Amino acid sequence: MPACLQQRWYDDSNSWLAMTEEKLSSTAIILHWSVAVSVFFLFLSSWWMLGLPLPSDNFTYRELPFQLHKNIGITLIFLVVVMIGVRINHKRRQTAVTRTQLEKLAELDHLLTYVLLIACCVSGYLSSSYSGWTTTVWWLIDFPNWAEENDALNILFSDIHLWTCWALLAVIAMHIAAALFHAFNDDDVIKKMFRL
Amino acid sequence: MENQHGANRGSDFNPTWLGVVAVLFGVLLFASQGTELLKQLVIVPGTAAELGIAADCRPDELEEEGLSLQECQLLLSSVQISLASSPGWFRPVQIFLSLSSSLAAILSVAVGMALVADRRGPATLAVPVFGLLILLDCAGFIAVLNTGPLLRAQYLWPALLWFFIHACLFTAALVRRQQQLASDD
Repeated sequence: MPACLQQRWYDDSNSWLAMTEEKLSSTAIILHWSVAVSVFFLFLSSWWMLGLPLPSDNFTYRELPFQLHKNIGITLIFLVVVMIGVRINHKRRQTAVTRTQLEKLAELDHLLTYVLLIACCVSGYLSSSYSGWTTTVWWLIDFPNWAEENDALNILFSDIHLWTCWALLAVIAMHIAAALFHAFNDDDVIKKMFRL
Repeated sequence: MENQHGANRGSDFNPTWLGVVAVLFGVLLFASQGTELLKQLVIVPGTAAELGIAADCRPDELEEEGLSLQECQLLLSSVQISLASSPGWFRPVQIFLSLSSSLAAILSVAVGMALVADRRGPATLAVPVFGLLILLDCAGFIAVLNTGPLLRAQYLWPALLWFFIHACLFTAALVRRQQQLASDD
């Protein structure tokens, strides 16, 4: 890395160095990776399952993948809420440091990730509710069917689900690029998310 | 002088990037193999697609999904293609390989984390774990090679990509291991 950039990123207020000293709890690390695996599985499996025949009395190919998709999505809402709680708790205990522009961008990326994750899951659930299909969480608990079937609202929330998911994928790509940046620099920032 | 310079460059190996890349691809592989497992559990021989029943394409559903009538009919054809081009042995083999690869992906995530944390013990497992992933890629490639052209078109290219990704990780882990052994002597 050019010396001038190194100066800018590492010495300016020493905040990257301060970040490396922060230790994340095992709960935060496990939650992060559980959410990561779930999100990638949801993306990959949804691209495949939308290529299955439309549901009817004869064709039930979509039943298992859609139920699984909804189950993981609903579970994700709870995981993300816990994650936000853990993060707020962690922030409270953190010593105040001046943030550089890049760190502020990283904060924005995290915030956007949380907002989009919740938006994706909630819009997906609402779309499903208005479609008239029932949701049984992990094939155990019948989720309350609080909405009447409504095609217009189903299409609206389905569109919101689609676009928030694409936005989430873009934000995740930025998040991974930033993680690789730290990994290739070996600047220790990355290590806090890998140390259980 | 040259040797000295070379030795210095060798000792600069950064296990962090190897660990992070291993974790990233481990997560992606787990998601990919999970989807493959789901595919094999859903597209089962003897189901409606094989019975010659016409696709049910209601206009309201087509509008909801943003599909044309022809696309809707072809959704059924894609399942028929999968079923017709899979030999009897293919489904159990794919289920076994998906489960094994998912397990190996979890191991690769664990090994990647150990590499980032610079834990020597678990990090020594990097070579066998990435080696196992290469073996599973080869087994998957050979399995698909023995099916028809339709499945080959679907599976061979991703299998080849995964093979090269795991070959890169394996080679890097091997270099890391050799350096560790050299520094021990």
